[in-house]
Amino acid sequence: MIAKTTHAAPTTWAQTLTPHLKAALQHPWVESIVRLSAVEDTLAALHPMLSLTEIRARVVRVVSETPSTKTFVLQPNALWTGAQAGQFVRVRLELNGRQVERVYSLSSRPGSRRLAITVKRQADGLVSRHLHDMVRPGDVLTISQAHGDFLLPLEADELPEKILLLSAGSGITPVMAMLRDLQARHYAGDVVFMHVCQNPDELIFADALRGIAKAFPALTLVLHFTQTEGRFSVQTLLAAVPDTALRSTWMCGPGALMAAVQQLWDDQAFTAPLYSERFVAVPLLPASRPGTPSVVTFVASGKTFTTSGTAPLLVQAEAAGLAPKHGCRMGICRSCQCTKKSGTTENLQTGEVSSAPNELIRLCISAARSDIALDL
Amino acid sequence: MSFTKPHALSREQIAQFELEVNAVRKEVMDDLGQADVDHIRNMIRICRASEIGGRALLHFGVGPVSWVAGVLALASAKILDNMEIGHNVMHGQYDWTGDPSLNSQKFEWDIACDGEQWRHSHNVMHHTYTNILGKDRDLGYSLLRMTSEQRWKPRHWFQPLANLMLAMGFQYGVGSHDLEIGRYKHGKMPKEEFKSRLNRFLSKTGKQWFKDYLLFPALALWSAPRVLAGNFLANLIRNLWTYVIIFCGHFTEGVAIYREEDTRNETRGDWYLRQLSGSSNLEGGRFFHIMSGHLSHQIEHHLFPDMPAHRYPEVAPKIKALCEKYGLFYNTGSLFKQYLTVMKRILMYTLPPKKGAALPSPRL
Repeated sequence: MIAKTTHAAPTTWAQTLTPHLKAALQHPWVESIVRLSAVEDTLAALHPMLSLTEIRARVVRVVSETPSTKTFVLQPNALWTGAQAGQFVRVRLELNGRQVERVYSLSSRPGSRRLAITVKRQADGLVSRHLHDMVRPGDVLTISQAHGDFLLPLEADELPEKILLLSAGSGITPVMAMLRDLQARHYAGDVVFMHVCQNPDELIFADALRGIAKAFPALTLVLHFTQTEGRFSVQTLLAAVPDTALRSTWMCGPGALMAAVQQLWDDQAFTAPLYSERFVAVPLLPASRPGTPSVVTFVASGKTFTTSGTAPLLVQAEAAGLAPKHGCRMGICRSCQCTKKSGTTENLQTGEVSSAPNELIRLCISAARSDIALDL
Repeated sequence: MSFTKPHALSREQIAQFELEVNAVRKEVMDDLGQADVDHIRNMIRICRASEIGGRALLHFGVGPVSWVAGVLALASAKILDNMEIGHNVMHGQYDWTGDPSLNSQKFEWDIACDGEQWRHSHNVMHHTYTNILGKDRDLGYSLLRMTSEQRWKPRHWFQPLANLMLAMGFQYGVGSHDLEIGRYKHGKMPKEEFKSRLNRFLSKTGKQWFKDYLLFPALALWSAPRVLAGNFLANLIRNLWTYVIIFCGHFTEGVAIYREEDTRNETRGDWYLRQLSGSSNLEGGRFFHIMSGHLSHQIEHHLFPDMPAHRYPEVAPKIKALCEKYGLFYNTGSLFKQYLTVMKRILMYTLPPKKGAALPSPRL
């Protein structure tokens, strides 16, 4: 018998109350007397976990998983509405005056009181280095609600008979949450958890995996260490898991690995579903050469057009018959400023090329250097 | 004052000047960081504390000393909010932080002028077309005749009085600026457009009146008159102060005025030169600079409107040195001296031009 579970945390009184409070405070007549930002700052000064608008999470514990990986166990405030296995949160920090966001998959069991994110220290990673070097138990982080559609079926009777959870490196985090979820839901099918990493020292969640393997009869744990057993390929997979074709598969790992597995699925026409999660939040696409036609999407209004030539986005949009708000047309008034959700743009005044997501750009002095999505 | 060619630089020199000004800008913009955010947040904290303290003194204080202290504290809060915080944040000086509460396009301030209308009349019109007659509507605020190139009308006899009225009700002057009543009266703006602008202005003014002249006095119960008068005086002080600072920014002696046809096809260097010759600075200490929102560095502000304003004192010597190098006039002086020249201009252009007499062109 498989227990049916709901993964959302029960609605707290805070969750019921805050939207109304927030709406009241944002009413123009109230806002002209006291700004929401003033209320928020006051609450934060009273207690760092207090907020009407943001999920604050206290770092309860920091666990060193491998020499370059740490797990941060977090206690969220009452605004947290819960997560499903496989979802991620955005962690926001202020570094040298600038707010930066990174996406991390949750590795904790859905429905657990505390959350866990597991962060690999990147040599030039602004956020991962800060988290590794500066963040201590007791510190408070700002996180988003859980997002993502890399999920296990919610209903117990929709869980497939045979499951493969495949991961490599730090891609283990979302599938670890899935494994914990399956165990908590007393999944009685057959799940293979296959993980690829360099060597046993680089194995994230080593203790937890061993513990689950002992207590969870449905699980077959397959570890592949590339240093001793050689590079991972689809042959490695098929050798270790001969019935791969029959297994509904969830995978997360480096792009090349996932592309190879996807190729296997396509070539062999496997009918079992394959779900994948790209855990690199910002794929570092090289910028296209100036003047390369790019597709510009206005997300909110659903309009798209293709650029031609090196003219700024404002000129390009107008040529395409759109009329975005603008003013000086020379980069000083910021009337045409908007949020670039994704893609690479060049600041034509400074020559700076940036791929950062959710970045403010000015249409009149920015040119597309890749396909871009704008919040317009 | 007539249109003047403010400099005798060659195209090459202008291009070189542009590069040197860009370099001054880049040095600061590359260095922005925690200290800049800390500065503006500190200003916001002081502003809030000053407002709470001021209102508390007005509400709960007894006697005239606490009333005066309350008025001054509230006036300081409003000045800080409008000048160092609101004006600068709405220019996008802190957009690079990514902090939504410092986002230029969403910020709203404690003044009768609606933020969105300000962003249009000030950031777009005034900062792009600075001192171009007929384009920069800040030139005399469609009320005063500030140059001989503006046609004299009989109403200009009342100019000194109009100036005084504008000073006292400066927030309404600024607030109604984007209505462009003149354009509407001459049939150049559709009625619906004007009505929507008017509604925005009235709605913001209504909120300000509700707060300062209804809600807070009512909350004070029997102290209502004390609070009402205190709020009124605090608004008046803020009006006078902002008026003086802003008038000293562009209406002093020696500030150049431009014809639209001369500013077509401007390069960034030309634009820099126009901003430089169209603005004037005020000298003073750190406190004075902060209370003026660093508009005491009007020249630097017009060259770099989106640079955090507290950096202007740091770049001012470099701009001054560039002016010396290129033989350009760097217009600066004490508040008293600069405002005196503003008054001189206001009074001078009150009088109709003498027929046939050539006007002396002021030296730059």
